[in-house]
Amino acid sequence: MNVLAQADTLPISEPEIWWFALSPLLTLVGGALLLMVVGALTPQWPRGLYAFVSAMIGGAAGVLAIFNWDDISDNGPATLVGGALAFDTFAMWSTIVISGAVVLVSMLADEYIRDTPNDGPEIYALLLVAAAGGIVMASANDLIVLFLGLETLSLAFYVLAASNRRSDASAESGLKYFLLGGFASAFFLYGIALVYGATGSTNIGEMVTSLANRGDSGNDVLALAGIALLLVGLGFKIAAAPFHVWTPDVYQGAPTPITAFMASAGKAAAFGALIRVLISGLPSFRDDWQPIIWVLAVASLVVGSFLAVVQRNVKRMLAYSSVSHAGFILVGVEAAAHTAGEADGGMGISSVQLYLLLYSVIVIGSFGVVALVAREADADLSVFDGLAKRKPLLAGAFTIFLLAQAGVPFTTGFIAKFGVIQAGVDAESYGLAIIAMVTAVIAAFVYLRIMVAMWQKDVEDDAPAITVPVSAAIAIGFAAVFTLVAGLYPSLLIDWSDAITLVR
Amino acid sequence: MLAAEVTHAGAGAFPLLTALIAVPMVGAVALLFTQRSRPEFAKLLALMFSAVTGAMALWMLKEFDQSADGFQFVSQHTWIEDWGIGWHLGVDGISLFLIVLTAVLFPLAIVGIDPHHDEKPYLAWLLMLEAGVIGSFLSLDLFLFFLFFEIVLVPMYFLIGGWGYEDREYAATKFYLYTFLGSAFMLVALVATAMLARDDLGYLTFDLVDIAEGSNFAASTGRWLFFGFAVAFAVKVPIFPLHTWLPDAHTQAPTAGSVVLAGVMLKLGTYGFLRFGLYLFPEASVWSRSLWLTLAVIGIIYGAIVATMQKDLKRLVAYSSIAHLGFIVLGTFAFTSQAISGSVLQMVNHGVSTGALFLLVGMIYERRKTRQIAELGGLQKVAPIFAAGFMVVMLSSIGVPGLNGFIGEYLILIGSFQSARWWTVVATAGVILAALYLLWAYQRVFHGEPDEDNASFPELKMKEGLVLLPFLVAIVFVGVYPQPLLDRIEPSVDRLVAHVADNTDIDADPDYTTQRGEFEPEHGDDGHGEDDGHGDEADDHEEGEG
Amino acid sequence: MRRGIGAAEFGRDFTSPGIFGARMSDFLRDYLNVVWFAVAALAIGGLLLGLAAAIRPSFPSAEKNIAYESGVDPVGMGWSQSQIRYYVFALLFVIFDVEAVFLFPWAANIERYGTFGLVVMLIFIVLLLDGLVYAWKRGLLRWV
Repeated sequence: MNVLAQADTLPISEPEIWWFALSPLLTLVGGALLLMVVGALTPQWPRGLYAFVSAMIGGAAGVLAIFNWDDISDNGPATLVGGALAFDTFAMWSTIVISGAVVLVSMLADEYIRDTPNDGPEIYALLLVAAAGGIVMASANDLIVLFLGLETLSLAFYVLAASNRRSDASAESGLKYFLLGGFASAFFLYGIALVYGATGSTNIGEMVTSLANRGDSGNDVLALAGIALLLVGLGFKIAAAPFHVWTPDVYQGAPTPITAFMASAGKAAAFGALIRVLISGLPSFRDDWQPIIWVLAVASLVVGSFLAVVQRNVKRMLAYSSVSHAGFILVGVEAAAHTAGEADGGMGISSVQLYLLLYSVIVIGSFGVVALVAREADADLSVFDGLAKRKPLLAGAFTIFLLAQAGVPFTTGFIAKFGVIQAGVDAESYGLAIIAMVTAVIAAFVYLRIMVAMWQKDVEDDAPAITVPVSAAIAIGFAAVFTLVAGLYPSLLIDWSDAITLVR
Repeated sequence: MLAAEVTHAGAGAFPLLTALIAVPMVGAVALLFTQRSRPEFAKLLALMFSAVTGAMALWMLKEFDQSADGFQFVSQHTWIEDWGIGWHLGVDGISLFLIVLTAVLFPLAIVGIDPHHDEKPYLAWLLMLEAGVIGSFLSLDLFLFFLFFEIVLVPMYFLIGGWGYEDREYAATKFYLYTFLGSAFMLVALVATAMLARDDLGYLTFDLVDIAEGSNFAASTGRWLFFGFAVAFAVKVPIFPLHTWLPDAHTQAPTAGSVVLAGVMLKLGTYGFLRFGLYLFPEASVWSRSLWLTLAVIGIIYGAIVATMQKDLKRLVAYSSIAHLGFIVLGTFAFTSQAISGSVLQMVNHGVSTGALFLLVGMIYERRKTRQIAELGGLQKVAPIFAAGFMVVMLSSIGVPGLNGFIGEYLILIGSFQSARWWTVVATAGVILAALYLLWAYQRVFHGEPDEDNASFPELKMKEGLVLLPFLVAIVFVGVYPQPLLDRIEPSVDRLVAHVADNTDIDADPDYTTQRGEFEPEHGDDGHGEDDGHGDEADDHEEGEG
Repeated sequence: MRRGIGAAEFGRDFTSPGIFGARMSDFLRDYLNVVWFAVAALAIGGLLLGLAAAIRPSFPSAEKNIAYESGVDPVGMGWSQSQIRYYVFALLFVIFDVEAVFLFPWAANIERYGTFGLVVMLIFIVLLLDGLVYAWKRGLLRWV
């Protein structure tokens, strides 16, 4: 048991580093560092350039991820850096989703950040760092690495949430997020420690081997307590009820483009981590955590949709609706749990990733519209009164996003919901599927309320003028077109999502 | 399965059915590019697109092969391969006239009804609605059907909410949420159907024909799935007690909305029962028939009684729809060829006559800005032609012999009497009640001396007359000579009834006659010596068994 | 079937048989030392405090509730403000403190880590330098 004595004689095995496989991550981190230093060393850049560079870096990471996806489908998945990161289609899908979110959010943020006024490289550098953290979370093959990614993402998010220095709400949201997030991180870290105690490793592959060989003589107390704590930490990050209470306050207070990023990339990363930990790492305990996922899903669906109905603030409505969307995604996770660790993976994981991709675009578009319409004032529902008469195109795009969130056919929202429901039904979770659809009806009421305000109310006389900057218009337009086109012809995306596999 | 895929030789390569959906859709998109300041141009464009759709539907009617019982003009393409979803369209005798009705109703509604404001989006929503409704009637893929079934809610929501009357927001939201709730169950049932059928078929598909012909659900599974579908259809029909959205939606909707809602959209429910309920789950349909028959009869009586009490003319017509739809459900679950043929015919008849009634009520509202029966009176004196038109339509709705309503109701009652005697006996009372509430309403609105406000009631205009004329022609033609319609409806209905009979132990031979006695479903507590009161017991009994 | 975590099993597998030498993994047995120390610490602490409370005279007064600050009377409110610039220096100190913590063990084993170790440490230092350059250019190092 003399670890220290052995250490002198242990050879240092340099992990083999496959630079190209890491390239999306390195692009984001390197891009963030460069942007920050060069931005600090040079005088103020011309308007929009920071955002443009950030979008370019995000786009480059996405393109590199696509190349890597191609490589994986040709040569099969692998693990990287001595088993610390997984190099599989699952990780690359998350990378593409998060990088895409960086591109769209950078375009949305440009004008908004400049008006805050907070123009500079910092916001974009933090966005890129958060994205890198998210990608690490979704591709981590080791709980410690996962925690590193989670903290990188979270710390960047705390700062981003509080980045509007003139707004009390922003500071409040940053502080709330920081305190509660720190709490959740502590839970998560303790969970890692306990699981390490139970299995003797934090590496997911070794964990699975150790758990498979543990026989009947050991006891599961450490592992079960660890899983419970891990679930608390991850439940907080995915904003599943009952760990959702931070969501409305943070989403409301944070600058709206940042909220869009949290709701898209943040969710994609957290769900990636959840699937890594549970489906990939703890399939032998699925009888224990699957019921918890079921309960979390139902709670999120019910709480999210019911509480969304009573809100007056559009950002809070969308925050609660994102909780109910988390519930929907959990339906897919629950379905994936049925086949966790088995050769035939079922439809669960693919449906979750498809949902995350489609939902990310929708939610960025939604918050993008909110960012333009409710720029100064808080996003009270009355701000949207008569939007259709003032800005018909903007109202049209918002209507598309809202209908998609409600799951109306011929939008991506329907495809996403159909996917998880199909996965749930395939796994014979009929009850969960029905609960999900029924709460979707309640949630639909929320979206109808916003649409009623936009299309049927009259414009308030003192409503401030809405200007639509070009970059934001492009981002929102792209999101709207994507929502419709991919909703009409989703087979390509579905085909790709079927190729998603996990490696450990 | 192959027999179901009869492709019409004359259809050639032209994808007629796809075009029926695509043309109004393209029209809706094209309208977005018209100028807001030129509503008459938008109206012309919308009329053009809907008229082309109508013409294509009529051409389809002409080319329809009445000797074939399968689906015709079939258009089948892979759409989402990984999920086994195809673009599968087809038309048979059951859907044929519903599509023709839809395609003809829309141009009439567009030309005949003035929305008063925001013409461009109004027309775009109408065209999108048309595409959705036609798509629902044509779909032979469960997924595709659900898409269209759901998408019609959106234009209807905006039509009611944007161009309706005083309580429009409430009515629109209620309409949307009610129907969406029904669909929630259907979606889960639909996915489960495909997933469970995969075990029998060996591959994942959402194709209606493949699943119906190839699957073999266990009785209890089939019943659960059937009820998932049935909830959605029952809300849409609507069947008592899920009907409460309908009076609000009908009353608050703009005239075109009411016409379309009553004319074709309610038929999505009854059509759904035939196409997806009976065809996919024959065993469960037969098993649960007492429940549906009872609810149908309650709907007939309840709708009629409540209609009698209405002060609002539009609400009266709305409640009369509940009663009429009850007859259609009664015929559907009688499982005899005659009754189901009658149901299909009655769907069309109700669309024509109730559509026309809403059109006329809309005209009254345009002239007098009121729908209250008490504020009207003596209109026959000042507008005799208008009154005559109203009279014909109303008599058709009552089911007077010689007009179309009679044929449908008669077939339903004759057919149902053989297999569901006591329910039919009670339902017949509904025919009398229909005469009561409609004639009474007519009397209050048109008879007597007109007061000051009503004295200036304008007579039917030329344009209005031209819009009304096709309705009247259809009413009289079907009433006098229904054979061409029945010739086309019956082969498909016979095939459906045979399919139900093959998969259950009911004796539902197409040549069914009364001499062969009543059939007794295995589980059903069928109609021996039951009056309405016992019907409720049967209902409870069924649920106890489930 | 997997074993559950019922109370009975918890007791059998984890505590009582383990303490009395029956079935317990070596891993857990090592932790027993911690348990005994914890028990002893609690016992001794509780004993001394309890004893003191039992035998000492008790004359409570307001002065005795004032926070003890090296015999000086406390001044002002508990929520006093302090200069923000100290915060920056504290932050910078922590960063370089952490760097030193990492550098020492690395330096002690630098031969075994070889080139790989050098590259890794260089990356780490570059990251910190990046932050320092940024902080410097943004004027955080200037004493305002």
